[in-house]
Amino acid sequence: MSEIFKSEVTLSENGFLFDHGSGLTYTLNTTGQFIFRQLQSGQKSKQIMEKMLDEFEVIEETARKDLDDFFRQLNELGLIDL
Amino acid sequence: MSLNVAITGLHAADNPAPGLGVIRCLHHPKKWDGKIIGLAYDVLDTGIYDEGLLDHAYLIPYPNTGSKAFLERLQYIHQQEQIDVIIPTLDSELTVFQKIAPELKSLGIATFIPPKHITDRISKSQLAEFCESENIPYPETIVIKDPGELKAAVKKIGFPLMIKGVYYEAYTCKSMEDVHQYFELLRLKWGLPMILQKKLDSEEFDVCCVSDKNGDLLGAVPIRKTRLTDKGKAWAAVTLKNEQLMELSRRILKKLKWSGPCEVEILKDKKTGEYNLIEINPRFPAWIYLSTGADQNLPKMVIELAMDKTVSPMAPAKSGICFVRHATDLVCPMDYIENLTMLGELHYKSSE
Repeated sequence: MSEIFKSEVTLSENGFLFDHGSGLTYTLNTTGQFIFRQLQSGQKSKQIMEKMLDEFEVIEETARKDLDDFFRQLNELGLIDL
Repeated sequence: MSLNVAITGLHAADNPAPGLGVIRCLHHPKKWDGKIIGLAYDVLDTGIYDEGLLDHAYLIPYPNTGSKAFLERLQYIHQQEQIDVIIPTLDSELTVFQKIAPELKSLGIATFIPPKHITDRISKSQLAEFCESENIPYPETIVIKDPGELKAAVKKIGFPLMIKGVYYEAYTCKSMEDVHQYFELLRLKWGLPMILQKKLDSEEFDVCCVSDKNGDLLGAVPIRKTRLTDKGKAWAAVTLKNEQLMELSRRILKKLKWSGPCEVEILKDKKTGEYNLIEINPRFPAWIYLSTGADQNLPKMVIELAMDKTVSPMAPAKSGICFVRHATDLVCPMDYIENLTMLGELHYKSSE
């Protein structure tokens, strides 16, 4: 488990996320799943950004905004420590 | 070794008693090797009619009838069925079982319940004092022993707050009108003292625990309730992997030197992230069957402890296991009802 996560988390193949510490569940869209899996494999923000530009047809500004928004949401939900 | 086990708490209606969950744990993963004897308070305690769970059912007197009548009835049942262990599962009967435990032991009937001086420490009116003395986090609480103390206590705690009866029931109050309304309602029903407690903006967790005679935790299943009834009872839940819940439970039981099963209710303050103890129920919870899914068969562990066997701590409960409660209709012939009504006992044919 990547150290960024506050407790054990499981993301299923179809985007269903379970937080083992709180018991809460979430559904992630394709982009969310992509970012989350990068986080789980220990990638940092900069590396994830580069991979997003490779994977999706998106300009850097939009990718940056999506990534920041997603991190903010994960932080607010208590899933990660920023 | 084949053991005959008697279990109370067989009524599973809108507020299910834990007995049926305990029995299902004993039958997991295969049918219990010994007799399962259901001890029921009423002919229509629903679990009696769930065929396959019980070998025998007996009516017993309500605990408030007195310990003498209670013990005499258990002696009669013991003569018929040779009970090895009794697992009581209701709050209201714990005192009588604590009182008659020595007599039961001399009859050869084992129990594994905490002694009265320990359960007294966690009664609703004493819990805040225990938390204070042992440095266990808990929501600000004031015990009201006289109606004259109410106004000052409300002012000190502030709104929203919880008002709790000394035995059962709790209501949220957002105004002084609410306080007066529920204070009167609870006073008429349960009398004084009454408990005022700060209502935290929080997440609610439960941990079902079993500890040994030294208060050392041997098994525990932490859960989050994911669906509640209008009475606040869990109708769905999921098991967790949460070391903070485990550590707090471990610390509480060790401080108490708790022996036996219990359900520890904990709130996580959303503002501070702190875990607060709100209640300890001195019995298994109604959702105990979930423990089998988490690889922690806690009722079987209690039987081993009752039989004075050496029990090692279990591996942590498996997380991500869910339960959903499901109401169903049970069908039975009239002679089941007749036997219980006229004779106070029912014997299923498969066990004859």
